[in-house]
Amino acid sequence: MPLGSLACMLMALPLLDSLVRGGTWWVPAFVMMVAVAGVSALYRLSGWNVLPVPFLQALAVALLATPLFAGHMAPLGLLPTERVLVHLVTVFEQGMKTIDASAPPVSSSAGVMLVIALALAVLTGAADFLAVTARCPGMVGGLLLALVSVPVLLDGSGLDWLPATACAVGFLALLAMDMWVRGHEWGARVPDERGSRAGTPGSVRVPDGPDSRARKLGAVRGVATVSLASAAAVLLAVTVPLMLPSLRTDTLRTMLDGTRIGTGGNHITTTHPLVSLRRDLSFSDRRVLTYRTDAEQPPYLRTYVLDEFDGVNWTMTPVNASIGTRVDGELPLPTGWGSAPSEDVVTTRISLDSETPRMDFLPLPYWARTVRAPGEWYADPRSLMVFTTDSAPTGLNFTVETVDRVPTAEELADTGNPRSLPGDYRNLPNGLDPRVRELTDALTEEARTPYERAVALQEYFTGGAFTYDLDPPSVPSDADPLVHFLLEDRVGYCEQFAGAMAVMARQAGIPARVAVGYTAGERMGDGRWAVSSGDAHAWPELYFEGAGWLRFEPTPAAADGQGSASVPDYSRGSEEGGADSPGTVPEESELSPDEASEDPREDGAPEEEPSQAPEEGGEPEDEPTSSVAAPGDGSPTAGGLAWLPVAGAAAVGVLLLLVLPALVRALVRWSRTTALSAGTAGAAEAHTAWRELRDTCLDLGGTWTPAESPRATAERLARSGPSPATAEPGGLMSGAAREPVPPEAAEALWRLALAEESARYAPSPGSPEGLREDLWTALSGLDAAVGPGARLRAVLLPRSLAPWHRPRPAPGPGPVTL
Amino acid sequence: MSLGTHHGGHGGGVQEDVGEIVAVADRVRGAIETVIEGKPEVLRLALTVLLAEGHLLIEDVPGVGKTMLAKALGRAVDCSVQRVQFTPDLLPSDITGVSVYHQDRREFEFNPGPVFANIVLGDEINRASPKTQAALLECMAERQVSVDGQTRALERPFMVVATQNPADMEGTYALPEAQRDRFMARVSVGYPAPQAELDMIDSHSSRSPLDDLAPVTSAAQIRDLADRVHSVHVAPGMRRYVVDLVNATRTSPELRLGASPRATLHLVRAARAYAALDGRHYVVPDDVQALAVPVLAHRLLPGPEAQMERLSPEQIVAKLVARLPVPGPQ
Repeated sequence: MPLGSLACMLMALPLLDSLVRGGTWWVPAFVMMVAVAGVSALYRLSGWNVLPVPFLQALAVALLATPLFAGHMAPLGLLPTERVLVHLVTVFEQGMKTIDASAPPVSSSAGVMLVIALALAVLTGAADFLAVTARCPGMVGGLLLALVSVPVLLDGSGLDWLPATACAVGFLALLAMDMWVRGHEWGARVPDERGSRAGTPGSVRVPDGPDSRARKLGAVRGVATVSLASAAAVLLAVTVPLMLPSLRTDTLRTMLDGTRIGTGGNHITTTHPLVSLRRDLSFSDRRVLTYRTDAEQPPYLRTYVLDEFDGVNWTMTPVNASIGTRVDGELPLPTGWGSAPSEDVVTTRISLDSETPRMDFLPLPYWARTVRAPGEWYADPRSLMVFTTDSAPTGLNFTVETVDRVPTAEELADTGNPRSLPGDYRNLPNGLDPRVRELTDALTEEARTPYERAVALQEYFTGGAFTYDLDPPSVPSDADPLVHFLLEDRVGYCEQFAGAMAVMARQAGIPARVAVGYTAGERMGDGRWAVSSGDAHAWPELYFEGAGWLRFEPTPAAADGQGSASVPDYSRGSEEGGADSPGTVPEESELSPDEASEDPREDGAPEEEPSQAPEEGGEPEDEPTSSVAAPGDGSPTAGGLAWLPVAGAAAVGVLLLLVLPALVRALVRWSRTTALSAGTAGAAEAHTAWRELRDTCLDLGGTWTPAESPRATAERLARSGPSPATAEPGGLMSGAAREPVPPEAAEALWRLALAEESARYAPSPGSPEGLREDLWTALSGLDAAVGPGARLRAVLLPRSLAPWHRPRPAPGPGPVTL
Repeated sequence: MSLGTHHGGHGGGVQEDVGEIVAVADRVRGAIETVIEGKPEVLRLALTVLLAEGHLLIEDVPGVGKTMLAKALGRAVDCSVQRVQFTPDLLPSDITGVSVYHQDRREFEFNPGPVFANIVLGDEINRASPKTQAALLECMAERQVSVDGQTRALERPFMVVATQNPADMEGTYALPEAQRDRFMARVSVGYPAPQAELDMIDSHSSRSPLDDLAPVTSAAQIRDLADRVHSVHVAPGMRRYVVDLVNATRTSPELRLGASPRATLHLVRAARAYAALDGRHYVVPDDVQALAVPVLAHRLLPGPEAQMERLSPEQIVAKLVARLPVPGPQ
């Protein structure tokens, strides 16, 4: 069985393939899993029953981790010294950070491999415990489900059919093996007259006789039946959701249209854009790209669109690469544009600097009508981000045709509430500080339309109340960064401005998201534009019905702010006019050249990271950098009390969890005693009383073997109470109280046993009286026979609820043939 | 433990039958206990076999009261008792009887042998030659005697109580498996407890207490009770339990020879009688468990491994019993 559970878990290993890059990540995991299962198998074979198996398994994992991950610094490559352990912990932390910081697939650094290997070792150990110790291999399915849900949740593109099938087959094989082992444990069992057991392989083991051929046929038929049933189960699980429209998901449809299966499935590879921004703060100013354009005032270059806010960070929904989203010259129309644009087409040729690390996402002006770049590129239809799954070449040259459709303030003023947007860009996490909402309401009180509200919000940020600082004071760890930025110190850089405005816009009912990329940069002498990492920027995009997504600029520009930032005309409010200059980007961008050198440190060049971040996961990381709305000093009052409800809820939750077994057990007992007191007593009542007695005995740490008849059980209990599982019945006990139960309880036990016996074996069971009273007497007698510790444990952790404590054939020599 | 609360609401008939069995059994038991003290389990087993119409094999070292037990049983029931002392020169006809030619009447007349009795004591049965043993054992199985082409049925109740010394004693012919299989149960008397032995000195010093033993029941009554034992209920689960147990002896790697189907029948019949003796009209697992060793063990041959580990068939059967789950609720 240990090997069976190992095989089952190994079959599930390919599931993770889509999450990790690099071919060797599974090797340490494989070694660890084999070690865990091997320890279990050998130890159980040896019959040396001193230490619990999980302890040995943990030891094996610890010993293996050293040569696998810290072999170079350990003596002999094996011995775990303190230095090695510290190193391992560091590697583990790096791995965790990498995984936290990156969207799948992560690259297989040592840390990531260690994390995966440890997690799988733990899972294998758990599977071993469930399948072998607890003898309920069905529950291994829960572990597999957990394993399956990791790629499903993280990747969003579903599972490949091959790993999923392998996983299912492994699980079924484990179940089958368990059936087989169980069938053999008892030797020959007389087949039921009705032949209902005949189909189960292994359950019938009879000496060869004249009709052994018929039996073999039966076995073959049984195997065929089981296989068919299993195949049908797997098939149904996959196909039924397709039949039901409500269950039909994008994932399944994607699988159906053959792209994933046909092309082997592409998953977008990117690191977390926000992490990139943060890291770039420490980078020096450096040329990122140059471009040549026909436009007088080129727009910002957008790389990422972040549309999910978790309370602290803005993050990107994972994007999918499929044939349907492949860029074949033209890009899809942006959301919210009713018709194809009629405006003039502007051509821009962009050259990425050869020194710039690879970019998996292209920095593009919005809206790009066509993109012509070497290699395979995909466009996310919702955000129009353009990305690749291959590793993009450095020094890429590509051509973009853009259409400048810039609405006027008047046009925007007439727009109503957004209706046509797919996906909800107004979601906010629960638990935002109510003061933010109050602030938003106060700012937008006067505004009648979404547009006016947006303008009001932008003016709040650019009105001078906020200070632009690339190196803001850090936020106290207990403070809400958003509140701190908006209400406390009001110091930050573009991330905080953009993130905060997007949050407030969502609160004001305007769909909003955060875009990350570059400002237009600086014009060079030869007519080209140069963009440096100092031009990295983040800004909110707000959605207006009929106009689509529009850029706003809450970050202060010019010398006191982000140098090359510019405020779009349409966002200045209708009173300022500007209707006559569609497509122009305000003058601030002109100011930028001189400032550019001051800015380099401020905003990230997001594209640096894609392949690097994982390896560098060990960098110090703290709150202010981790979020768009991070900086500032937390208000102690708000921050100090904010944890209270959470902690309270957590405490209540933990408490509930602790008493849950007790509650369930009490419920069971209550329902049984109620059944006893109601109506006349018969066979069913006798069984009920007996079951309750059995469960209580188990709860109190006693033994209950199915080979013991009711009266034998009653005698044993009356003689020595519920003795611990390891004790000889009636033998000498150490520690726990070992008094026999009181005489009246012994009599009650006897009467219960006779009632049960009669209910089981008599031709017409009698109607025993006083079952309920007898049960209570017997139960209190059993309680009295054990110590207070056992009583407490019986209440809090009733063993009768655990399937592996249920009575089962006692192990021992006998007709076991394996 | 016997707190004496007997259950079962099955209507009158069966319950009364069972009650009479208990009453009669108690009388017989009381009578025999005046002769053999401190062996209630052995007595109970002997009564069980009597009511189940089986044959009993008493195996033990000499002098522990094997013959005394058999004699007391025969004396307590008012029926014909014959005793055969098996010796190496005993002939089959000495058991079954012979046809003697009468000169005056000019015909053969059958002189029935000692086997024509209700209770036959076969003393030291393993001292006779196999041929003679076989003659007795044939009568045991078929409950009839065939001599000179004539078949004569034996009267009910017919019970052979054979005693034998352990197989390794001098001058013995061990009973072959096929013949051991005909005995329903084998029992060892065992040495008496010290107190019982002390009492024995007093009671046996002057005269044999067997002389004072008066019959407490009749052959007709035993016949009647044996009929009633057949009506004791064996639940379907219990039948399976018995079959599973017997099957386990056949598949156990520790046993070279398992129990026969005849053993299954014997076990069920004995369990019925055992239950009736307990005042129950249905069989419970405890009956089967208590009888498993006496009924099954003498039919089994341990395998080589068990012999190396010095595991006796009794121990193996006890282990099987301890592992086999009892039938649960239907």
